[in-house]
Amino acid sequence: MTATTSGRARQTAWVTLLVVLVLVTAVLPLLLTGGQSGGRTLDPADTSLNGSGALARLLEAHGVEVVRVETPGAAVAAAGPQTLLLVTEASFLNRDAARRIAEAPGDRLVAGSVPHLDVLASGVRRQGPVRARSRAPECALREAARAGDAFTGGMSFAGPPGATGCYPAGDGHALVRYTADGHTVTVLGDASFMTNLRLAEDGNAALALNLAGAQPKLVWLAEPDDPGEAGDPGAGAEGQARSLGDLMPGGVRWAVLQLAVAVALAALWRGRRLGPVVVERLPVVVRAAETVEGRGRLYRSRRARDRAALALRAAAADRLAPRLGLPRTATAEEVAVAAAARAGLDPEPVLALLCGPPPGDDTALVALAAHLDTLERQVRDS
Amino acid sequence: MALTGRAGLLAALAAIVVLLAPEPGLVVPAAALVLATLMAADLLLAGAVRGLRFQRDGERRVRLGQSAAIGLVVDNPGPRRVRGVLRDAWQPSAGAAPRRVPLDVPARERRRLVTTLTPTRRGDREAVAVTVRSVGPLGLAARQRTFHVPWTVRVLPPFLSRRHLPARLARLRELDGRHPALVRGQGTEFDSLREYVVGDDVRSIDWRASARRSDVVVRTWRPERDRRVLIVLDTGRTSAGRVGVAPVSVAPVGGDRSSGWPRLDWSMDAALLLAALAARAGDRVDFLAYDRAVRAQVSGASRTELLSSLVDAMAPIEAELVEADAAGMVAAVLSRARRRCLVVLLTDLNAAAMEEGLLPVLPSLSSRHMVVVASVADPRVAGMAAGRGTAEAVYDAAAAERLRGERREITAVLRRHGVEVVDALPEDVAPALADAYLALKATGRL
Repeated sequence: MTATTSGRARQTAWVTLLVVLVLVTAVLPLLLTGGQSGGRTLDPADTSLNGSGALARLLEAHGVEVVRVETPGAAVAAAGPQTLLLVTEASFLNRDAARRIAEAPGDRLVAGSVPHLDVLASGVRRQGPVRARSRAPECALREAARAGDAFTGGMSFAGPPGATGCYPAGDGHALVRYTADGHTVTVLGDASFMTNLRLAEDGNAALALNLAGAQPKLVWLAEPDDPGEAGDPGAGAEGQARSLGDLMPGGVRWAVLQLAVAVALAALWRGRRLGPVVVERLPVVVRAAETVEGRGRLYRSRRARDRAALALRAAAADRLAPRLGLPRTATAEEVAVAAAARAGLDPEPVLALLCGPPPGDDTALVALAAHLDTLERQVRDS
Repeated sequence: MALTGRAGLLAALAAIVVLLAPEPGLVVPAAALVLATLMAADLLLAGAVRGLRFQRDGERRVRLGQSAAIGLVVDNPGPRRVRGVLRDAWQPSAGAAPRRVPLDVPARERRRLVTTLTPTRRGDREAVAVTVRSVGPLGLAARQRTFHVPWTVRVLPPFLSRRHLPARLARLRELDGRHPALVRGQGTEFDSLREYVVGDDVRSIDWRASARRSDVVVRTWRPERDRRVLIVLDTGRTSAGRVGVAPVSVAPVGGDRSSGWPRLDWSMDAALLLAALAARAGDRVDFLAYDRAVRAQVSGASRTELLSSLVDAMAPIEAELVEADAAGMVAAVLSRARRRCLVVLLTDLNAAAMEEGLLPVLPSLSSRHMVVVASVADPRVAGMAAGRGTAEAVYDAAAAERLRGERREITAVLRRHGVEVVDALPEDVAPALADAYLALKATGRL
């Protein structure tokens, strides 16, 4: 008894622990990301603090055509010799897509912590993270020099030979521009100077306009609504498969395999029985009253009122006969007459009760049983 | 061989390592290799189970409703400690507890474990298997082996009606004339002469003896002694039906008592009370269980051993799902009872079975012996017969009344053959049968 009780208590404790764990894992990410929710970061169509709607409007006011695209395919299609491709968010891209973007014609502006930097801006090396803050340009690059101080940083870069570096930070520069194969590629460690929040500070707006408005047409690659469909429409199913595999770190697949091994071992542990199953020949469990119940149901389903009434009347007569001093062999009529005489009743209804015709319906049968009981009681009490 | 939960847990922990490792593709096979090595080492280091020796001791028989302790001595002749778990498996209705016990037998030592049986039904309960799982020092893998260590415990009928025995024995002493109440012995057999004391019935004065002794002398009587009683138990299909409510003391813990107790068990209870009473009354009691063949019998048992040999013979009897062979039963009775004796037939007053089976052969039995038929009535039928109010209840009542009418009829037929009939509810059948026996004894009809 105590063993099972303590076992149950332990089970309850385990269940509680599990529930708490599940709740914590569900709530924790919400708490951690709660402050950043709302708005799509660096999206030209977004007007929240994290978006870049203001910059897009400004560029359009300056006569720059802003084209917002969500897929690398669309970006490549929209790009031309007189265009600038702005990449601020590329975590949904895979290497193939990044490579195709890198091969697109026109200039390229890469801002923020963008993956596949070695493809998008080959030759630029990361020097290490630095704090994003207001920095002075300290370089000859016209766009930066004219803008003045700007909110830059995030990552410091070292450019290839011949590259221009601005906003020195750490061992390198927060902005690096170089030219390769006729494209001008600009890399920035942090893109937050282009957000609605920071655009009005320092020379951020000037720097953003100078950099993004360099060409008459700006192709802005924004994060799609549904990253699952982010692949190139032309790539079809291949794109979808890649996107899922790309989102998973490499170790997950192996960890799942290892977990499968663990599950298999657990199955072996639970599946091994401690000794054989014990069989036993058990006696049948049959209640003796089952035949009587069956007969009762049979009467009911066949509406066998005649037989039922006969059985009830015979039983009543059998019980009455010894009380009235009659032999067991007495007929129902004799019993009825004697009973009526004893109880001081009219013999006619008693005769009808004990040997009348079978009742016409179930109600009459129920009434008959009640009347027989009453007659027995009257004879007993008289 | 068997694994433990630790092996799975270890593999699951390895999954975390794999997730964080720089080269997960290498960690997975490495983890498998390490785990396999550990398990192999654990298996090698676990105490050997093959050489274990077992020995049982304890009770051989137990009354239904009571518990028996069975000891199991585990002898470990090997060089390593055997640590793990042991399961002593019995048939489920033996009610063995605990189901598994922790085991720890050091090298070349022995330990005694106790299994408590609380059987839930009558009969022979057997030990099926002893399984030992010896876990290695790391607790990752275990050696396992199943042994056959036979032991049988006979579960005897509970004889619940023995609480009625003192009252019946007091009645018996009254009949004997040994009762302090100075009642004249009511028997029919002349016992002795003794001096008259105030209070004796004057009708019992022996005038001839009084004349010789110049003192008033009364005759005393006593019931007949050394009569033979043959209890016949019908183990055919009608005895399998369950009636009443299983007594609390024998019902399994948490089990369903409402399914009742077989007629056979109620009949055995009645037979035991009758046998105990008759043995005290100085009669010789024989026992026969019969359906289509003799299932069990006790004959010529001494008074002191009668009850124990009776319960022993009754214990393994189960109701057979065949129609009892009444003619064969009567033949078996006649071959065993050459002198006139009291034949008590414990069966069911089933009209159809009786008319085809017992009634045609009854005269040959009742002409030579005093026959008592005892039957267990079903309280559920009485309950149904009282049903009123709705059509369903009245139809059921009609069916119940019909059955009771048939029973009354067959009872009347049996009485016409000079057979005594005892038809009582389950709890009452044993005392009712004892009373019928005492009444027969008092009137000297044995």
